[in-house]
Amino acid sequence: MSSQGGFGQSKEFLDLIKSIGEARSKAEEDRIVLREIDTLKARLSSPNITKFKLKEYLMRLIYVEMLGHDASFGYIHAVKMTHDESLLLKRTGYLAVTLFLNEDHDLIILIVNTIQKDLRSDNYLVVCAALNAVCRLINEETIPAVLPQVVELLGHQKEAVRKKAVMALHRFYQRAPGSVSHLISNFRKRLCDNDPGVMAATLCPLFDLITIDVNSFKDLVVSFVNILKQVAERRLPKSYDYHQMPAPFIQIKLLKILSLLGNGDKKSSEQMYTILGDIMRKCDSASNIGNAVLYECICCVCSIHPNPKLLESAADTISKFLKGDSHNLKYLGIDALGLLIRISPEIAEQHQLAVIDCLEDPDDTLKRKTFDLLYKMTKSSNVEVIVDRMIDYMISINDHHYKTEIASRCVELAEQFAPSNQWFIQTMNKVFEHAGDLVNTKVAHNLMRLIAEGFGEDDNTADSQLRSSAVESYLRIIGEPKLPSTFLQVICWVLGEYGTADGKYSASYITGKLCDAAEAHSTDDTVKAYAVTALMKIYSFEIAAGRKVDMLPECQSLVEELLASHSTDLQQRAYELQAIICLDAHAVENIMPMDANCEDIEIDKNLSFLDAYVQESLEKGAQPYIPEDERSGLSNISNFRSQDHESSIHALRFEAYELPKFPVPPKAPSILSSSVELVPVPEPSYVADVHQPATSALTVSNSGSSELKLRLDGVQKKWGRPAFSSTTPSTSSGDTFESNNGTTRHESISSTKSKVHDVSYDSRKLQPEISTEKQKLAASLFGGASKSDRKQSYTGQKVSKTNSHGADKSNLAKAASSSDNAAVIPTSQPPPDLLDLGEPTVTSSAPSVDPFKQLEGLLDPTQDTTKLSSGGVGVPNAPDIMSLYADMSLSGQSTTVANPPPNAIKTHLAKQPSKGPNVQEFLEKDALVRQVGVTPSGQNPNLFKDLLG
Amino acid sequence: MIRGVIVMNDRGKPRLVKFYEFQPAEKQQELIRSIYRVLCSRAENVSNFVKVDSLFGQDVRLVYKTFATLYFVFIFDSSENELAMLDLMQVFVEALDKVFSNVCELDVVFNFNKVHTILDEFILGGQVLETNSSEVVKTVEEISKMERAANSIKVVPSIPGWQGR
Repeated sequence: MSSQGGFGQSKEFLDLIKSIGEARSKAEEDRIVLREIDTLKARLSSPNITKFKLKEYLMRLIYVEMLGHDASFGYIHAVKMTHDESLLLKRTGYLAVTLFLNEDHDLIILIVNTIQKDLRSDNYLVVCAALNAVCRLINEETIPAVLPQVVELLGHQKEAVRKKAVMALHRFYQRAPGSVSHLISNFRKRLCDNDPGVMAATLCPLFDLITIDVNSFKDLVVSFVNILKQVAERRLPKSYDYHQMPAPFIQIKLLKILSLLGNGDKKSSEQMYTILGDIMRKCDSASNIGNAVLYECICCVCSIHPNPKLLESAADTISKFLKGDSHNLKYLGIDALGLLIRISPEIAEQHQLAVIDCLEDPDDTLKRKTFDLLYKMTKSSNVEVIVDRMIDYMISINDHHYKTEIASRCVELAEQFAPSNQWFIQTMNKVFEHAGDLVNTKVAHNLMRLIAEGFGEDDNTADSQLRSSAVESYLRIIGEPKLPSTFLQVICWVLGEYGTADGKYSASYITGKLCDAAEAHSTDDTVKAYAVTALMKIYSFEIAAGRKVDMLPECQSLVEELLASHSTDLQQRAYELQAIICLDAHAVENIMPMDANCEDIEIDKNLSFLDAYVQESLEKGAQPYIPEDERSGLSNISNFRSQDHESSIHALRFEAYELPKFPVPPKAPSILSSSVELVPVPEPSYVADVHQPATSALTVSNSGSSELKLRLDGVQKKWGRPAFSSTTPSTSSGDTFESNNGTTRHESISSTKSKVHDVSYDSRKLQPEISTEKQKLAASLFGGASKSDRKQSYTGQKVSKTNSHGADKSNLAKAASSSDNAAVIPTSQPPPDLLDLGEPTVTSSAPSVDPFKQLEGLLDPTQDTTKLSSGGVGVPNAPDIMSLYADMSLSGQSTTVANPPPNAIKTHLAKQPSKGPNVQEFLEKDALVRQVGVTPSGQNPNLFKDLLG
Repeated sequence: MIRGVIVMNDRGKPRLVKFYEFQPAEKQQELIRSIYRVLCSRAENVSNFVKVDSLFGQDVRLVYKTFATLYFVFIFDSSENELAMLDLMQVFVEALDKVFSNVCELDVVFNFNKVHTILDEFILGGQVLETNSSEVVKTVEEISKMERAANSIKVVPSIPGWQGR
C-alpha cells in the first residue's frame, strides 16, 4: 500500500488535485486538466493496463468531467468495465456510465445486455447496482428489454432490492407512462409489503399517479389513512424514527398524498380529520423535522374539504412559525399563510406585523415569498401600497427573471384593481421605466389599447382626462436618457394620437419632443418608426383642422435622413409623411381621421374592388390568373414540399438515393455473434480508438460465457433501419441517433397559484404595535376600504373590446357588483390604542452559545443517541461551522509566511479533531496528507488554502 | 422529485455533482456557477432556501447548508418538503461522517465514488429511498466488504505495475 497515497487513491491523482487546487486562474486550471486528459488518453490506449489501473483512470475521468471538460474518449472504457465480474470494478463502471451517458446515448445499447445479466445475479448487491443503472440509463426504447426482470424483482426476498425495483418501475413510468400502464396494480400490491421501507418507496410512484388521476385512487383513502395512523402510533420499527418522530419522511409523503385525494372531496376528507388532528396535536414543534410534518399538515388541511377545528389549529401553527426566530420557519409560515387565506381570508390580519417584518427582512428568499403572499391577497383597497412596494423591490434587484415576474405581476394587479386613471398611468410608467425591456410586448400593446379605448365607461371626459394625464406624464419622461425601447414606442404612439388632442400643447412642441426622442435613439429603428408615424399623425391632424403646418427644421432633417435610410420601412414612412403634408385638408381627413384607432378596419380578402379592373384587363386579352398550386411546369416548389415525385418526373430530385443493397454475405451472422459488442456502434472513431483493448477484452469475455449476446427482443426499432441491414457501420446512421438525443422532461406542473383577488376583508380590529410607520403600512395592506373606490375591471374590458360598444353591458354589471362589494365592506375603524406588545419579534438569537459545544453535540457519533433523546434541540441551529473558521481562513489568506494553526490541517466537517475520540484517526490522515505533500507548511500554501478554506 | 445534488466548496469548486435528469456538461457547469453565485450572495443567518425557478423552471427550489468548507445543495420541486430536505441533507452528512469517521473535504474529493455510493442509497432516480443514516452505513459497509473480498484476488498481480512509480 505504500505506493498508494492517502484516501485510497494514487499519488498521481493526489498530484492532479493538488495542482488544480494551486491553479491561480481558470485558464491555468484548464491547462492542467487538458494535460491530464492527454495523459489519460495515452494511458487508456496502451495495450496492457491492469483492470485496477483502469479503474483509477476512470475515476480521474469522472473528476475531469466534473470540472467541465470533455471525457467522451473514455466512455467506452466505462462501458466495458460494467461487464467485469468484480463487484468493485462493476460498480465503478456503472457509476461512470450513469454519470457520463444520457439515456439516449449510443453506447447504452452495449450496457443493456449487462444490465439484463446483472438483474439476474445471485448477489443482491450486483442486482442493486444494476437497478441503479436502470433508473438512469434505460430509455423508452430499451424499457421492454429489462421490464420483465424488474417486475420479477418486485418479489425479491431482499427488501433493498424490492425497494429499488419499485423505484425503477416508477422511473419507467416517468419516462414512458404507456410502457408500464398495465403494471400499475403492482404499486398497489407493494403498498401492502411487509417491509415499511418498500411501502414507503411505493408512495413515490403513487403520489405521481394520484397527481395525474385522483379519481381512480379514491378507494385507497382508507388504506392511506390507516397507514398514517399506524405510523403516527409508532407501530413501525424503531429504526424508522428520526429525532423521536415516528417515520416523519413517510408521514410527509402520506400527507401529501392525502391532500391530493381529499381536495374538493368531502367524503374522503372526513376520513382524514381525526388523524390529521392527532398528528398536529402530537407533533414536536421543537425539531426541524417536526415542523416539516406540521407544515405538511397545514398544506393538507388547506387542500381538503375545510374543517373549522383543523383550520383553527393550522392557524395556530402558522402563528407559531411566524413568531419563531428561524428564517426557515418564517418562510414556511408565509407560505402556509398563502394557502390558508384562500379558505379563511380574515386570518391574514392577525399576522400583518409578522408579514411586514418578513417584507423588510434582509433574506431575499423570505422577501420573495412574502411578495407572493401579498400578490395573492391584493384587492382594490390595498393595491396601491402593494404595487408600490413591488415596484420599489423590482427596482432594487438585478435578477432579470424575477424582475420580469414582478413587473408582469404589477401590471396585472394594476389592470385589475387600479383605483384611478392617474395612478394607473403612473404605475405603468414606473414599471416600463425600470423593466420595460423585460416585460412582454403584449403588455405595452395592452397599455396603448387601454389609453385609446378608455376604461369603458360611457363617460368621455374620463377618457380624455386619462389621455391628457398620460400625455402630460409622457412629455415629462420622454427626455430622460436610457428609456426602454418598448416604453418609448408607447410614448410615441400616445403622443402621436393624443398629443394635441386637448389643445394644451402646440403641435410644434410635441413634434419637437418626438424628433428629439428619435434622434436620441437613432440606433433603434422601431422607435424611429413610431416617432415618424406620430409626426405624420400630428401634422395630418393639424392639416385637417385647417391650420397651417410649419415643419420644424429638426423634423425636416429627420425626415430627410429617413428618406435615405437603409430600412425600407423607415423610408416608406418618411415618404408617406412627405406625401401627406402636401395634400389638402379634405384628403388628409380621410386618410388620417381623428381618434379613429378603435375603429375596425374592414378587410376585403377577395379583393372584390379590383374585379372591374381585372375584367377590363381580361377583355384586353390578358391571361387569366391561375392559382399557384394549379400551375404546372418547372417551378413546382409546392410539389416538392409534399414529396410528390411521381407527378413531376422531369423535376430534380433533392433526396438522397437509397443505399445500394449489398447482398448479405453468408458469413455475416457468425461475425455478428463473435464480435457482438462492436457491431452496433456506428461511430467509426470508437472503433479506431478502442480497437486494441476492446478486442483483447472481448476475446476473454466471450470465451467466458456465451451469454453475452445482445438480446433485445423489445428493441427492434433501432435495428430496423435500412442502414443497419448491411454490416458496414455507416456514419449517417450515427446522425439519426444523434437526433434522438432530446431528453424528455416530465415536469409536474402544479401551479398552485390561484388568485384570491376579490375576497373582501373586513377590518374589525387592527393589531396594535409600536412603530407607527409599520402600523400605517399594515393598515394600508390589511386595513379596510376607507377609500371607497370603484373596482374597475380593466381586463374584462379588454377582452371584450373588439368593438367598443359590446362591452358596455358587462361593464355595467361589473360596476354594479363592485359597488355592491364596496358597500359590504365596513368602513375601517381607527386603530385602537396601542397595547404593549413589546418589540416586534425580531430578537436576535442569543449569541452566547459556544459554537464549539454546539458542534460537538451535533455530529459526534458517540453522542448521537443521547442527543436524539434530548429532543433534538440542537438540530434547528445546525452546525454553522463557517463562522468558526472565518478567522482561520482569514489567516490562511494573509499567510504565506506564517503557518496556519495546526488544527487547520484538516478541517473536520463534524467536529474539532482535538476533542473527539478519534484523534488517532485524525493523526493518521494527517500523516497521509503530509506524505502526499499536501502539507500546509510545505510549498503549497495555495492548495492548502483551496482545499481547506 | 429531487432534481439534483451538488456538493461544492466555498470557492465554487464542485466536489460532487449528480443530476437526476441528464444535463449536458456545459449546462452542468453553468448551473454550478449560477448556484455558486447565488449562494455567495446569501448573508449569514438567513433561511436555507432559495427559489431557483430562473435556472430550473417553474416551482423548483433549492436547499443548501454549509458544513465547514462545503456547501451541500439539494435541488427539488414541489413534491418535496423543504424542511424535510434539510433534514435529509443532515442525515446524508451524518452518514458521510460515520463512513469516513470525521469527514472532511479531502475525503469527499478523493473518495467521491464512495460518496456517490452513499448518496445512491439515500436517493434513487430522484426519489428518497432511505432516511436512516445507520441503515445506509450498514449497506455501504457491506458493499465495501464485498468489494474488498473480490479485490484481494485481483490486486495481487497488479502490484509490480504499481512499483513502477
